[in-house]
Amino acid sequence: MKRSLIPLTYLMISLLLFISSCKKDSVDSVEENELVTSVKLNFSSGGTTQTFKFADPDGDGGAAPIVETINLKANTDYTLTIGILDESKTPINNITDEVATEKDEHLFIYTPSPSSLLTYTYGDKDSRNFNVGLTGNVKTGAAATGKLKVQLRHQPPINGKPSKDGTATPGSDDVNIDFNISIQ
Amino acid sequence: MRKKHFIFIIILHLIPQLGTKVLFGQTKSEVHRECDCFIQGIVLDDVSKLPIVGAVVLIKELNKGVSTDAKGFYKITNICQGKYTVIGRIVGYEEKSYTLNLEHGAEQNIKLSESELHLANIDIKAQKIENLTQTKSTLENAALDQTRGQSLGEALKQISGVTTLQTGSSIAKPVIHGMHSNRVLILNNGVRQEGQQWGSEHAPEIDPFVAKKITVLKGAAGVRYGSDAIAGVIMLEPEALPDSTKINGEINSIYFSNGHQIITSGILEGGLRKIFSTKNPCSFGFRLQGTIKRGGDISTPNYRLANTGISELNYSLSADYKIKNWVSDIFFSQFNTKIGIFAGSHIGNVSDLTEALKRGTPLAIYTPENFTYTIGRPYQDVQHNLLKIKNTHKNPNGNLSLTLGRQYDFRKEIDILRGDKNLVQLFKLTTYTSELLFEHKPLFKLLTGSAGITGLYQENLTTGTLTQPRTSTVLIPNFKNFTAGLFIIERIVKKQWEIEGGFRYDFRHLNVYRIPRGTQSVELDKLNNENVTGTLGASFRPNARWNFLTNISSAWRAATVNELYSDGVHHGAASFERGNENLVPEVALNLSLTANYISKRVQSEIHLYNNFINNFIFLSPTGRPALTIRGAFPEFFYTQTNARFRGIDLSANFQILKNISLNSKFSYLEAQDLTNNQPLILIPANRWENTLRYEWQKTTISLTNIYVFKQNRVPNKIIFKDIPASEIIFSEFGGDFAPPPPAYSLWNAAISQQFVIGNKQTLGISVTVSNLFNSVYRDYLNRFRYFSDEIGRNIALRAKYSF
Repeated sequence: MKRSLIPLTYLMISLLLFISSCKKDSVDSVEENELVTSVKLNFSSGGTTQTFKFADPDGDGGAAPIVETINLKANTDYTLTIGILDESKTPINNITDEVATEKDEHLFIYTPSPSSLLTYTYGDKDSRNFNVGLTGNVKTGAAATGKLKVQLRHQPPINGKPSKDGTATPGSDDVNIDFNISIQ
Repeated sequence: MRKKHFIFIIILHLIPQLGTKVLFGQTKSEVHRECDCFIQGIVLDDVSKLPIVGAVVLIKELNKGVSTDAKGFYKITNICQGKYTVIGRIVGYEEKSYTLNLEHGAEQNIKLSESELHLANIDIKAQKIENLTQTKSTLENAALDQTRGQSLGEALKQISGVTTLQTGSSIAKPVIHGMHSNRVLILNNGVRQEGQQWGSEHAPEIDPFVAKKITVLKGAAGVRYGSDAIAGVIMLEPEALPDSTKINGEINSIYFSNGHQIITSGILEGGLRKIFSTKNPCSFGFRLQGTIKRGGDISTPNYRLANTGISELNYSLSADYKIKNWVSDIFFSQFNTKIGIFAGSHIGNVSDLTEALKRGTPLAIYTPENFTYTIGRPYQDVQHNLLKIKNTHKNPNGNLSLTLGRQYDFRKEIDILRGDKNLVQLFKLTTYTSELLFEHKPLFKLLTGSAGITGLYQENLTTGTLTQPRTSTVLIPNFKNFTAGLFIIERIVKKQWEIEGGFRYDFRHLNVYRIPRGTQSVELDKLNNENVTGTLGASFRPNARWNFLTNISSAWRAATVNELYSDGVHHGAASFERGNENLVPEVALNLSLTANYISKRVQSEIHLYNNFINNFIFLSPTGRPALTIRGAFPEFFYTQTNARFRGIDLSANFQILKNISLNSKFSYLEAQDLTNNQPLILIPANRWENTLRYEWQKTTISLTNIYVFKQNRVPNKIIFKDIPASEIIFSEFGGDFAPPPPAYSLWNAAISQQFVIGNKQTLGISVTVSNLFNSVYRDYLNRFRYFSDEIGRNIALRAKYSF
């Protein structure tokens, strides 16, 4: 081989290596980052169930969320169950089940304002005997209007150590919404 | 580092051919000294090994110089005995200096001018440099060794005018003159780094151990390095590959007490000469380099931060082959890192953030008693690969080189998710770069310069396949980016003057494949931008003590994909960010003036700059909440304004006594939103740093104080006129969540010792204590200032063994 061809050969080989390193790629594993589009509150009393919904079907931003006003009877006992859904998926992704399996790191908090609107009593416990709030009892007060804040606190363990302590403090909000409530 | 830079300037001043006069350092004639010694040698191009004709070689102390002849040979005669610095210099090359002792033993040797003791043979290998009229700061040798083990951003803080934008203590982005991310161009071994630099929590994907020299070019440097270098350029350069058969190497071992971080980095290099039995000189050189880093939870003065560990594994391989007038080199590097994100910084919405701010100290669950190396969620997992192939051909008219690069950047951001699901934010970026450069030999004996063509092709994948994205709610959409540029830079050197000018044309074509919100079909957006940039600068040396540099440069940058299309919650930042598809490119015009003064005891530099940016793109708060199911988030829009960044970088070194010196650095910056007549948000505070250094033989002891002022220049009003005042809720701190933290003062101390073992082996050991008094402080440019204090006392032990 002629000496002058050596660099040229080198160049050709390097170019070949360079080009052969390209390939078609695809990202398949990516799903949306645990999107929640809807929260449903089911109030049951005397065999009838009323459902009120907070829905943001296009996710964060875009169109404003649709919030239904909660209408309840005064001085009545209700069973309250909550449903959390991602309705942008087909079939609809029921996040309630995921929360139920991970009770130990989730806590629902219901805060009426004014506080005289209703009283909430937790109806379920996790393995360490802390409240969860997937189901519970609501006792409404006298006729009034106000707001009901619904929060889902995600309190995952830190380096294997559980962080849930029964209070709202640790963790972060997965859900934090305000319903208008009217008690008649 | 500064000192190094000054030496460089001294050299510039003392060239007799430039008409400078001897002002200092002249040896007095001494009775008992013999002055028949001489120094001779050859000046060679470091790469091609070809002799350099017309290079100036001078003895610094004597201000005595000669030019090399047609064979690159020089000889300086009639020198007295003593310690001298020999400098080689020619336009277009970097100065090289060597120190040598011309000794004299007994009296009978007086006349023996040819004696070994009197003769020194120094072959100077010069390296090319690119720019002469812009201010450069370099980190190398001892100054670089002192930063070993730190991230690139942290290391560059040594340079005045450079700060960092941090996310905790492990993620640091370099900030030059108040600007960062896409406005700071990083050249890793000659290839522009293309990672996920758009994100404020995305640190440069580079192992600083690859570099033997890190240079920061402050100010717009669009013409030579790429149109988007608005704030400056950071260049990481390894040493030239060896061409001798000797095997050399280096081992660095570092331990940081805070986080019990252990770092080991090694280099092994060698070469072969004349592998073919031919008259043509040819050689082969190689280098293997690798770094392992492992660190656990770090501590602030009062508490430990959960999940702040880091792990890194990096390596690089390089080889070159030289034959006659060809040089081919290949470089491959891989950078892998896994960085834990402080668990207490994970927030759901603005009320979580407000709670965290109210608490001041993180909850006990986030500040564990027990130390661990384990990295849990959330964390970042990043890989960056670089393959570079460069071929250079030397011919009588100049050098022609072709550089090809391929980079693959793979970033995973793993959040705290329900059911330990492996749903992640993925970013895959593949980039191909090319540059064809021609550096011509002097024309008419005074005009030197270069011209080049550059090209870049890039594909970003975050969902589905490139042209078929699957989801609409990705942080940045899939895109295909093509840019091409054409440039020419020429310079004239005449006596005390050096004048440099150049221009560049760039074109960008961007294809964005995305599913707009609420629709099902893929939309293709095509964006085209083109622009011209220019540079004009001058260097003037009226005498040996002063040097003035002035430069006017432009640069432009088209809006990046995140600025155009962001639309969603930025977790961790607790903000709702919305891009703007109508953003036009920003154009910067940077004016700078640098004055250097050198005398025997004082070396100082003052750098003044004024950077006007038309249509400066930034994220500005709207002051109103964006309502989501996770709660309310403060809303931010990407918008444009006319901005002005102006400031002063001052640095000075005073030799107080023979062994004691004081180094002082001060940086002042004022960034103003000219359209809205208020300061810009997130601009680094002014800093003043002083180091007292004691040097005795091979021992150095230093004490440093860093004083960081409070940033008083923060925006005070919401700039969006069409947002009704009734909707604005977050207006207290001009849209920020908390006021800037107070000023702070830190003390660092260091002691280092060099040992020479045997023939060429050296061992350097140093102990450095940062934050000596374990002060509690927070920095305005650390995003974690809302949640936690900065890192506490940190003792670093460093050992470097070279063989």
